Amino acid sequence: MHTQTDTPLPTKLPNIKASSKNRRIQDTLIKGLLLAIALLSASFIILIAVFVTTRGIIPFITDNNQLGRVDVVGFLTGRVWLGGATFISTAYGAGYLIVNTLYVVFLSLLVSFPVGVLTALFIAKIAPAALSHAMRTIVELLASIPSIVYGLVAAGVFLPWIHSLARAMGTQSSGGNSTFAVVIVLAMMSLPTITAVSEVAIRSVDKNLEHASLALGASPTQTHFKVVLAAAKSGIFAGAILAVGRALGEATAVSLVAGSSRSGPNLGLFDITATITSTMLEGMKETSGIDYDIRFSLGVLLMAVILITNFLLNFIKRKVGKIHV
Amino acid sequence: MKKGIILLVLMLLALAAYGCSTTSDDETFDGNINIYTRDTSSGTRDGFMRGIGFPEASGNDAVLASGFATQNNLGIMNAMTVDEYGIGYVSLASVNDTIKALFFEGVEPTEENVINDSYGLKRPFVFMTRAEDDWASEEIKQIADAFVAFLESLDGSDVIADQGAVPLPSSYRWNDVAADHPICAQDNSALTLRFGGSDSITRIAEALSDAFSPRCGNVVTVNDHTGSSDAFKRTQGDEKDGVNAKEIGYSSRPFRNEELETDPETRGQLAWDAIVAIVHKDNPVNSLTAAQLRDIYAGDITRWSELLED
Repeated sequence: MHTQTDTPLPTKLPNIKASSKNRRIQDTLIKGLLLAIALLSASFIILIAVFVTTRGIIPFITDNNQLGRVDVVGFLTGRVWLGGATFISTAYGAGYLIVNTLYVVFLSLLVSFPVGVLTALFIAKIAPAALSHAMRTIVELLASIPSIVYGLVAAGVFLPWIHSLARAMGTQSSGGNSTFAVVIVLAMMSLPTITAVSEVAIRSVDKNLEHASLALGASPTQTHFKVVLAAAKSGIFAGAILAVGRALGEATAVSLVAGSSRSGPNLGLFDITATITSTMLEGMKETSGIDYDIRFSLGVLLMAVILITNFLLNFIKRKVGKIHV
Repeated sequence: MKKGIILLVLMLLALAAYGCSTTSDDETFDGNINIYTRDTSSGTRDGFMRGIGFPEASGNDAVLASGFATQNNLGIMNAMTVDEYGIGYVSLASVNDTIKALFFEGVEPTEENVINDSYGLKRPFVFMTRAEDDWASEEIKQIADAFVAFLESLDGSDVIADQGAVPLPSSYRWNDVAADHPICAQDNSALTLRFGGSDSITRIAEALSDAFSPRCGNVVTVNDHTGSSDAFKRTQGDEKDGVNAKEIGYSSRPFRNEELETDPETRGQLAWDAIVAIVHKDNPVNSLTAAQLRDIYAGDITRWSELLED
């Protein structure tokens, strides 16, 4: 790096003074530009939220071309998606979708969290440098695979397996379309997020903590599990929150393997299911009127569910993060 | 630790192997019927439900048996290769040998049986033109006449078959009759022919328009498909002189009521869309009646054994 400490300053001073005003203007300009860009990207969120909400409340506040209003309470607690004929009935219910969505996301986290964290621990602490580098590249690649590809692989490869598995366990599945399939797909998709974020968290744990643990006679395994993971748990939890966000919002892959149940809640592992997103996606291109607008209502519901879940998880994270070892 | 992992892997492998080796047995073929359906916006669903005498299920999920799975065309095909207890339905054009196509009322689903009208699970694709004396200009009328002649030619049939429907039999090629339509020898690129009606027929209609235009002086074609009811409304009904007026309207159901009071010369059929109930290849059931299919989809028959008794 080049330093100026040895060069004689006086000869350069006038230059700096002359340009200092220009620089200040430059700084102000850049600051303004960055602010504008930040505002622009923030305004997209507002634009989306406003658009989805204005569309989404139409079924609840208008009479939907003489069909009558959709009952908000019925919508939030309903156990049947539509209790009547499409375009004629307004008896929409999404309560079971909320339960299904949270259920599959929770189960997928149950799979992806331990696998992701242990993978991260391996990459960060145990694997030799070359392997660690290769593994990290693989995880990054996994994160960049589009969801439709995950969905197609799951529909083509996993569904027959899951169907056979269900038969082996003495139950009958609908061609493998099931909660189980959705959980596997979501776990696969959230795995790279958890791994990548956890790895960074594990790497940033103070080396002195580790050395102290080893010096006190703990084995490397004891150190990794009881010291490193414990110290990194706040970061690991942040990874889990991101993964939950991704899993909650995933539509394409889920709708390919869910089977789209129209009533619920669907808690059986080998029963067909439906989530908020998969129901939104389905028929979107071919429907109209209230059946179209109600999908925006689901969008509002989804945003609310994501916000509340994130808020709760962040609250838990603060609680968990405060406990030190 | 190591032993435990090896044991776990072995157990998983054994489970997977067991899962793969189990095959269904005709002797004891009995399971809950897994119902697969398209969603309520699908034209195939409408055709199927009406065909089996269950029209209220066309747009209403609530009357179907509980626990049905909703899938698209590909999803239903895939499911039938996996789910030995499943039943679904697809267009005849989608049927291949990875699944088993069921006879309907004892009649095999083949193109031949669709055309000779013995296979009953189907819906007609029909069209209607404007009335004899109600055209914007004589030229437009002549072009529309030429289009109908093209539609009914072997060339038109090829286009229809390419899109998965079963065209009505034809005996002539377009080139044989092109001379009868001198209007097509002119440059028609300033004239517009407007098509509308059924949206489940959109792909076929657009393919026909695209194939017809270069054969008839590059006439401009506009396809605007909104629903079968608009076929009559926008050619000879209320909206025939409105902004959405059409020269030719398509419908994916037979014309009915007031629509049949029009001049029969202005109506015709271009194709059949045959729908086939499909099951897994291991399923011993070969044929179902409309009433049985209705009972399955309504939830009155829930086990395959009930269908195998007779």
